[in-house]
Amino acid sequence: MKLRFLTYTLLVTAVLFAAEKTSPAQALDISSGGQPTITGAVGGSVTGSSNVTNDLVVTINFGEVSPLNTNATVKVVVPIALRSNQPYQVAVSVSGLGNANTEALQASDIGFGVQNIRVLGGAGKVCTQSTHTVRSPFNNDPSSSATVAANGRVAYTSSLANVTGSTIILSGPQLSKNNSAIRQQSDGYVFDAVFVLTPQFFATGTSSATLIFTIAAGPNVPC
Amino acid sequence: MPRSLKLFNRSTLLITLLLLAATACFGQSTTGTVTMSATVSKFVEINSGGPATLSGNSGGGITTDGVANSPLAVSINLGELGPSNTNAFVSAQVPLKLRSNASYVLSMSATVTSSGTTSNKIGAADVGFGLGTVTRSGTGVNTSGTDTNATSGDPTLAANGSVNGSTGRYEFTAVRSNLSAFASATTALSGSFIMNAVPRSNTNGLTVPAFFAIKPQFFENGATTVSVTFTVVAP
Repeated sequence: MKLRFLTYTLLVTAVLFAAEKTSPAQALDISSGGQPTITGAVGGSVTGSSNVTNDLVVTINFGEVSPLNTNATVKVVVPIALRSNQPYQVAVSVSGLGNANTEALQASDIGFGVQNIRVLGGAGKVCTQSTHTVRSPFNNDPSSSATVAANGRVAYTSSLANVTGSTIILSGPQLSKNNSAIRQQSDGYVFDAVFVLTPQFFATGTSSATLIFTIAAGPNVPC
Repeated sequence: MPRSLKLFNRSTLLITLLLLAATACFGQSTTGTVTMSATVSKFVEINSGGPATLSGNSGGGITTDGVANSPLAVSINLGELGPSNTNAFVSAQVPLKLRSNASYVLSMSATVTSSGTTSNKIGAADVGFGLGTVTRSGTGVNTSGTDTNATSGDPTLAANGSVNGSTGRYEFTAVRSNLSAFASATTALSGSFIMNAVPRSNTNGLTVPAFFAIKPQFFENGATTVSVTFTVVAP
């Protein structure tokens, strides 16, 4: 009798524990949105998971970006998946790229845009009263919006220089239909973070940067 | 096995699964990370700075001309270099264009071969050479950069040569003013980085004319071939 009571007690506790932990976890989530791609690189690469249920951990090596790389641009597309049961916003912050030499690679030399927001795997919450909004100036493909500035250097409509502190790049209404406790293959949205670097006569050296994408509760827009 | 123990075992299994499921949900995250890196290596290049010019020639001409921003490959027939050419000098001017993102060194090596068999044939010392005024201009060019010309400039300048009082032969006497100084790769020009951070499609750069000159004299008759190779490196 005592054993049965103990068993039921443990069972109820476990169910409550699982329920308590799963519901909040689904509220806001960011993960890989698929396999990242790179084009125009010489000695470069990009690594990341093609599985949308894996965490977003991407490593980009643009490779050689001096004129030894004769391609017009090095372009990297990183799909990022989002899930939420409430309005959301996505922010990004950058660290690194502190080159004192102005002729070396700067944050403004890496074009950065947000493109192609779409339902994840063909399913996601479709809201009719609010839209998913890419914040200015990031709604562009840097590979097609690049221009040559008066000083001869390539400039972008938006670049990592536009990321100051934690900068909101995207916001909108609820993303997920289900309140699933586990990351689903097809219940949310995915967007492309596009990075472009044009090979130029930069001062020699190596440069690196780290970007952190964060999803949080956003403006309370209706669905 | 007692019924209560069986229930206990099944429940334990179910509890374990529930806990695993709950733990799996911790895999969800509100942050993701993208790290990036890039490399910029030293880059230098030499190209034609434009069409070559030939003056003081009798016969001859420019066989293969230079084309601005194209690989340097110029061929010139200097024509008659004997006394029947009454001009003071036969001079060729070949514009060079250099570009780099780092300090550079331009060196040159030359070979002179003549069909003659005596010391009166045209030799390397009879071919005057020098680099002219260095120009850094245009959008994207490091105009504050400095350059060191290791040659003496236009070899036809009076200060760079004269008739040898003993032999009567005209000689290019200034520092690195004739091709005998370039029998092996020898520095002709060096300087600081040329281009600011601009793409390769920007066609500006450092331009400098390379002068070649021969004074027509009573050279031994025959044919002479002069071959010059420019090399730029970023040490």
